[in-house]
Amino acid sequence: MKLLNFVFAIALMGLSQASLASMKVTVNGMVCSFCAQGIEKSLLKMNETKAVLVDLKNKVVVVEAKEGKTLNEKEVRQEIIDSGYDVVNVETIPQTVAQFRDQMKGKK
Amino acid sequence: MKLLPKIGGVVLTLFGLAGQLYAAPMGFKNSWMIMGDFSKTYQEFSFNYATTANDAIGFSASAMQTDDYSKRQQNAEVVYTRKVARWNLPNAQANIWFIGGLGSTTGSSFGGSKAMASPGLQVDYETTRFYSMASARVYAAQGATSNITTARLGASFYEVDYDQPQPWVVIEARRMTFVSNQYEFTPMLRVIHNRYFVEAGANLSGQLRFNFMYNY
Repeated sequence: MKLLNFVFAIALMGLSQASLASMKVTVNGMVCSFCAQGIEKSLLKMNETKAVLVDLKNKVVVVEAKEGKTLNEKEVRQEIIDSGYDVVNVETIPQTVAQFRDQMKGKK
Repeated sequence: MKLLPKIGGVVLTLFGLAGQLYAAPMGFKNSWMIMGDFSKTYQEFSFNYATTANDAIGFSASAMQTDDYSKRQQNAEVVYTRKVARWNLPNAQANIWFIGGLGSTTGSSFGGSKAMASPGLQVDYETTRFYSMASARVYAAQGATSNITTARLGASFYEVDYDQPQPWVVIEARRMTFVSNQYEFTPMLRVIHNRYFVEAGANLSGQLRFNFMYNY
């Protein structure tokens, strides 16, 4: 029984981690605040999105999922492409948007 | 493809193509863009709505007049904007735009109003610190055709995060054949912040210039 509880707890932690993960998308063509706005607005329209950060200097967009929801990589890619930009790379990162922003500020 | 930034930069520096003065003459899908351009010889107020990421439809009202106020012309038109091509590069973006208007014009040198068509092209190349644009647009009406050609270069003082205001210095060369066959050169200070940008300056004759754009 203890073993079962342990496995259940681990599974929950994993699920929680996956739901809270953000997607870090490297994007080509983002050069101004108008570009950023379009991408931000279209990604925020997705039901799964909690927050979006556009980092023009590093050419990345970070999308954070709502608690209990999972971001669909295909949809995220398509929203950015439909906004007029090219997706170069997508990776999952453990940070929230706020944490990523703080991390970037720390690097300056 | 790697040659594009160099070729684009050279082409845009030497030439240019659209009456629109902005980095992009339309906003993102399902957004409105409101634009204004005001000087002694040219005034324009326009807006458009982006129905897709590549198309926008809108309306423009503009007026041109000579320096000595002897001639004046007013245009009212429905304007279609199309992003013909975009190249997304790691640190830059290049575009070709078609801008075409259909409407009517009235003027001090003829009676009544005339049908007018105003096709134009714009090409631009920009990074987060550098901006170039060139455009050409014909305002064609029977017996009252003129054109506007514009070239612009701009540089920003520093990079910013997208939610911070970014100041730029922009120099524009513009020729409006209705006003004169000479190019006018106008240095301007531009500030871009979130949804808007404003530009203010004066041409070498001291005539003031003010432009704005708001996107939402």
